[in-house]
Amino acid sequence: MSLKDKYAIVGIGYTHQGRVPARTALSFYVEACANAIKDAGLGREDIDGLICYRHFQPAPGEREVTPYITAQRLGLAPKYLSQEANCARSHLHHALGVLEAGLCNYVVIAYADNALSSQRMFDEIDPNKAVFGQFGYPAEYAMAAQRAMHTFRTGPETWKEIAVGQRKWANLNPSAYFCDRPLTYEDYYRSRWVVEPFRTVDVCLINDGGRAYVVTSVERARDLRHRPVVIMGIGQHNPSSYIDQSTCMAGPSGAKVAGETAFSMAEITLGDIDACEIYDCFTYTVEITLQDYGFFEPGEGQDWFKDGAIGPGGSLPVNTSGGQLSEAYFMGLTPLTEAAMQLMGRCGDRQLGPKTNTKEPEIVLCSDNGATLQTHCCTILRRF
Amino acid sequence: MAYKKPLPQPNADTRPFWDGCKQHQLRFQKCRDCQYIRWPPSIICPLCYSQDTEWIVASGKGKIYTFTVYHQAFHKSFENDLPYVTAIVELEEGPRLLSNIVGCSPEEVRCDMPVEVIWEDINEEFTLPKFKVITKPNGDS
Repeated sequence: MSLKDKYAIVGIGYTHQGRVPARTALSFYVEACANAIKDAGLGREDIDGLICYRHFQPAPGEREVTPYITAQRLGLAPKYLSQEANCARSHLHHALGVLEAGLCNYVVIAYADNALSSQRMFDEIDPNKAVFGQFGYPAEYAMAAQRAMHTFRTGPETWKEIAVGQRKWANLNPSAYFCDRPLTYEDYYRSRWVVEPFRTVDVCLINDGGRAYVVTSVERARDLRHRPVVIMGIGQHNPSSYIDQSTCMAGPSGAKVAGETAFSMAEITLGDIDACEIYDCFTYTVEITLQDYGFFEPGEGQDWFKDGAIGPGGSLPVNTSGGQLSEAYFMGLTPLTEAAMQLMGRCGDRQLGPKTNTKEPEIVLCSDNGATLQTHCCTILRRF
Repeated sequence: MAYKKPLPQPNADTRPFWDGCKQHQLRFQKCRDCQYIRWPPSIICPLCYSQDTEWIVASGKGKIYTFTVYHQAFHKSFENDLPYVTAIVELEEGPRLLSNIVGCSPEEVRCDMPVEVIWEDINEEFTLPKFKVITKPNGDS
């Protein structure tokens, strides 16, 4: 039986975000979850499922954040607790599973971190890569992007459109890290190399803060505070191969099968999509994801993105909060919660519709992606 | 001068590879049932699930599948190497190996360039496989 139109996002939890010193990662988890529960119009006694990210190595002096500790600080006694590294890609699948099985009625999903202020390494160092001077995800995605540049027409000319387009959205979002900092094409090219071919502006933010949301059935959602955001379709695909052996650096990544699965469940086509919220760890990730979903043929991205197509007033808005490049990094929760807020009509100056000279959104496509294009989830949301 | 960069950390799966490097041999596992040559090392063939395995010595020749150029050091010990190239080299036998391209300027490096292994003896215990671009007799690379 299809999960189409059976479950909905009903509450979003924000925290202070950006550079927020003197805060533990746990404090952001607790604040984000509490705000999501209150936003939905629910109480702590209603919440019977909690799913948290398996945290990166904790900052000095902090314990690893587990959902047990988070539940304790929130006064919750859930029937289902889960924590794992596969992030929001799997978390929503898990939530839908326990809801569909009748084990839970209201599930909270959360991600938080104090990566910026605690100044620890964001990722763990792999000693067998460090031997050759290979450090972190930027280098691995840079390798994927380099292979793509060799395979089809792409590169900085394409990626600058993504960085600049998303920044325009961030400039309309008071919570965005780069709200007050416009970005021009000249700024893009002046930005320093992180690892070539990526410049600093091609790489997502590292920030403090948290994000959470509440999922329940559409039946229960009817009685809550906000207009529910209905899950029309969802699909996941995990090509899995370790970066060295990856055959999907230049696509098709997991986005292809995940997208086909989600569109099939939703029973819609690309033309029905009003906006996209795409997991944007790097500019290239946005290009390859939209390409693999079928919005354009390999190498046609440069033309597709130009003339501000994804920005305010553009033909297909993408990453309307500024995304992880310009708003804040909360794994797959940055795109998913922004899609939900847009469909609830709660986005202020950046609200899709007449305010930003764009179509009022009925259906929004979201993506999440992990490791180096090795795992992907596509979620299609619609207005109730 | 003592070697300051991070050292390999072999485990039960990868020890034979690093032992091979010490003898200037690139060793990979080959499935005796389906002949698939695999990397990284594993107890089982990922294609046919056979455990019947032998270690073969690769030619050391391949081509650059992809690469990246570091313009800043994320570990102090690499500061003097900047700018340097990390690459994934696709070997003739099939496996793809993370390594460095050395002996040429980073601006000259391209995907699909032919390369061959050269050995860097870094201390008593370890030797690293690195790669250099094969220059054809007429001087073109």
